[in-house]
Amino acid sequence: MSASSREAILNRVRAALTPLPRRAAYPEFGDNVATMPAFDREADRWTAFSERQKLVNGMPMVGATALATWLRENGHLRGYCDPTLWAELAPAFGPEFSVSTDYDRAQVDEYAFGITRAAGAIAETGSIILNDSTTSRRLGALTPWVHAAVLRRENIYSDVAAAIAALGKDTNIIFCTGPSKTADVEGILIEGVHGPGVQIALLID
Amino acid sequence: MKYQQIDQFAAGLAREKRAAVYDGSKAGYDSRYKALFTHYTAPDELRHLAGEIKQHAIENLDTYLPQVEAKLQENGAKVHWAADAREACEAVLKIMRDRGATKMVKAKTMVSEEIELAHFLEKEGVECLETDLGEFIVQIDHDHPSHIVKPIIHKNRREIATSFEKNGLGEYNDDPGTITRRARQYLRHKYLAADVALTGANFLSAESGRMVLVTNEGNSRFCLAATKVHIALIGIEKIVARDRDLAVLLNLLGRSGTGQQLTSYTEFITGPKSAAQPDGPEEMHVIFVDNGRTDVLESDCREILRCIRCGACLNVCPVYRQASGHAYRAVYPGPVGAVLSPLLAGKKFPEMADLPKASTLCGACNEVCPVNIPIPDLLLRLRDKGKQAGSAAASAATPPMGGYAILATQPAAWKAALSMGGIINAVPTPLLPQAAKTWVETRGLPPWRGGQFRKWMKQRKKS
Amino acid sequence: MSPHERHRPNGKRVQLMATCLCDAFFDDAAAATVEVLEYLGCEIAFPEAQTCCGQPAFNGGDWKASRKVVRHTVKTFAGEEPVVVPSGSCAAMMFHGALLEFEKEPDLPQVAQLASRTWELADFIVNGLGVTKWPGRYEATVAFHRSCHSRGTASGPAALTLLGSIEGLKVAPFGEGEQCCGFGGTFSVAFPTISQAMGNLKLDHVLATQPDEIVSADMSCLMHMGGLAAKGGRPVKTRHIAQILRDSLKNASATAR
Ligand code: SF4
Repeated sequence: MSASSREAILNRVRAALTPLPRRAAYPEFGDNVATMPAFDREADRWTAFSERQKLVNGMPMVGATALATWLRENGHLRGYCDPTLWAELAPAFGPEFSVSTDYDRAQVDEYAFGITRAAGAIAETGSIILNDSTTSRRLGALTPWVHAAVLRRENIYSDVAAAIAALGKDTNIIFCTGPSKTADVEGILIEGVHGPGVQIALLID
Repeated sequence: MKYQQIDQFAAGLAREKRAAVYDGSKAGYDSRYKALFTHYTAPDELRHLAGEIKQHAIENLDTYLPQVEAKLQENGAKVHWAADAREACEAVLKIMRDRGATKMVKAKTMVSEEIELAHFLEKEGVECLETDLGEFIVQIDHDHPSHIVKPIIHKNRREIATSFEKNGLGEYNDDPGTITRRARQYLRHKYLAADVALTGANFLSAESGRMVLVTNEGNSRFCLAATKVHIALIGIEKIVARDRDLAVLLNLLGRSGTGQQLTSYTEFITGPKSAAQPDGPEEMHVIFVDNGRTDVLESDCREILRCIRCGACLNVCPVYRQASGHAYRAVYPGPVGAVLSPLLAGKKFPEMADLPKASTLCGACNEVCPVNIPIPDLLLRLRDKGKQAGSAAASAATPPMGGYAILATQPAAWKAALSMGGIINAVPTPLLPQAAKTWVETRGLPPWRGGQFRKWMKQRKKS
Repeated sequence: MSPHERHRPNGKRVQLMATCLCDAFFDDAAAATVEVLEYLGCEIAFPEAQTCCGQPAFNGGDWKASRKVVRHTVKTFAGEEPVVVPSGSCAAMMFHGALLEFEKEPDLPQVAQLASRTWELADFIVNGLGVTKWPGRYEATVAFHRSCHSRGTASGPAALTLLGSIEGLKVAPFGEGEQCCGFGGTFSVAFPTISQAMGNLKLDHVLATQPDEIVSADMSCLMHMGGLAAKGGRPVKTRHIAQILRDSLKNASATAR
């Protein structure tokens, strides 16, 4: 079926296009045509990113202690953490926390937070970038109510165009712009549908 | 038929539904406007550029399709081709059968609606669950989506709460937050138990074979984190030439659809998960779907293939706002649907040829379209096609134009008609031809002044 | 190419296309157009054989019938002068719609020739003759309905430039100005429910600002809105922009006297 359908479809495409007197040319445009003109691409990236991330209801944070404090205050004591990050973060977390470095699908409802690495971020949109090579577990970054993505300052791109130009070879890259959300019911914004209701960008220098 | 079908549907639409559709569309229009015009100084230039980017891609599909196929294969995906709905459904089923898979979770894809995949799979004993909240509600309600971005724009929270209760998703509670929490809780276990994830794609780059998938809820991400097999159903018109095109298109898509800079989750996928990643599909299948698209490509309406399904034309359309999406009797409603549905209908074109009539040709759709599709021009071409096809649906309640053309090409007859036209004021309403009657009954007619201007003009010339 | 991007002949010898609606119902709008153009020093030819631009059949989907009418119009308006039309909708039919239905016809060049010299009235005054300040006086608060067929053309801005420059005249903006009034030619009788609902919504927005008059460059929109308003028990005065321009001039000479 597939081989002949392939030929049939391609033949139809050719038959449809061949009679065109000329084909639309690839337009010329600068890489930053769709970057917001008012956005200052030279500004300090972390500052710009933090401001924009707040606009999409994300939470920028600096340092492991700030994260541990916020989680404690909000009663999120059980969670998952990328094993390669935990050694660095653990000192900030007290004994009241129960953190697993091995995500167990059967425990999906038990993880209140997940901590994984961010591959980068985008200042213009306040987006966090995750990819397969830096995210220890896709599920660990997605299923808990709170997701904290650990970010290094040098990985913040200024704008969407720059982030797309740098996509590279990773097989799965995702721009997370604020928490998971819906407005399906009467247009009312509700956060935390299938993914995190709280999206934290944690800067660690 | 007294009036056009879409008008009759609108006349029978419950007041509550109309209000829901109106308010939802207007809110969509407002947020789009705010986002585009506060973020950009010349958003129209961007729309034109995006239109050119897409037009280039569709007019070079003969180059880009084989190119993207090779890229996808290089990246480890398997490529399938489906000429029509049946082939597409069967391709999905075969992939599932080959693996003994019986449970599918599905992110929102318009193509799957088009080919009625869920219906087909259920008959074959495959569980096929919608994960987008709106689509999930439509599914448990045995309803149809009525908007391409906001599937349940026509429903209110009370209806949703009632169907949740009926479907065993807790006691009646119409708080939108509670409704969402319950769906979250119910669906996460479904994702984890599923074998296969089905998604569409918003864009596919011929340069890299990278597909882009956008959602706000994160459901496609969950699909691709929980399951082992990924099937992407992709209409052949989703291809763009280069990765850099995506920056333009994504920036416009989010703003035009929901007033967001970027949709919450923008995923770039080139193939199965990487070896070191424990979660996600080990296999990725791309099914290229034609299902009428090559007919559109061949027609003089091929610009409609630029559509990126943002929903902006629905939101701004005054006819959509009054009639609701269900009035359009097809998967794609509103202005985009009025063009696309008759074109995709194949032999059934005459039955759908009334859709292009459902427009005042006001052009608001073109003004908001992120890829600048000249929708009114396409509607007009389809009206001509409908007339040529002798479509009864299209000609319903439309006054015939033969007599008009005779009068308007013979100045003497025209002038005679002008001087006699006054009888329209004297004829009792019930005896008027249908069109005139409709007008007079609803709006009243100004006094007939036929030929007065010509008289005035003559006298003026003399003096 | 949109009409305001191309060069159009703009001399003061013009041909007038009065439109079928003015021919049948709204003679004063056409007369006002003549007076306004004459005030600007134009020499006006009115080809007697003119009938209609062909739009009813074009929008109704009967392109074969419409092309006959367009051919007649092309013949009637032979020449090189600008053709001025007191209707955004008929003008758009002549410079855009006609080109669409003649795409595959051998006489496309003739149709294109007429298209290239067709102007909507306000567009002609502002962008053809370079007049941006309108003299005289007109004491009224008006709601300006930008008719949809001038969307994306220079006509809407031109009309607002003229209206805004008239002493005593206030243009009151109203909600959802981008929305159509619901006329749409044959749409108005084939989709009466939707057409009326749209019109009433438009009236709600317009009347909320309590204007003295509704002004537009299109009598068709005004006929629909005025008719609906009257049937709905909330009559409102509707006027063509040419009537405002002419009356403004009259008021000026009245004060001068
Ligand atoms: S036609 Fe244009 S406005 Fe309508 S859905 Fe498609 S892209 Fe959006």
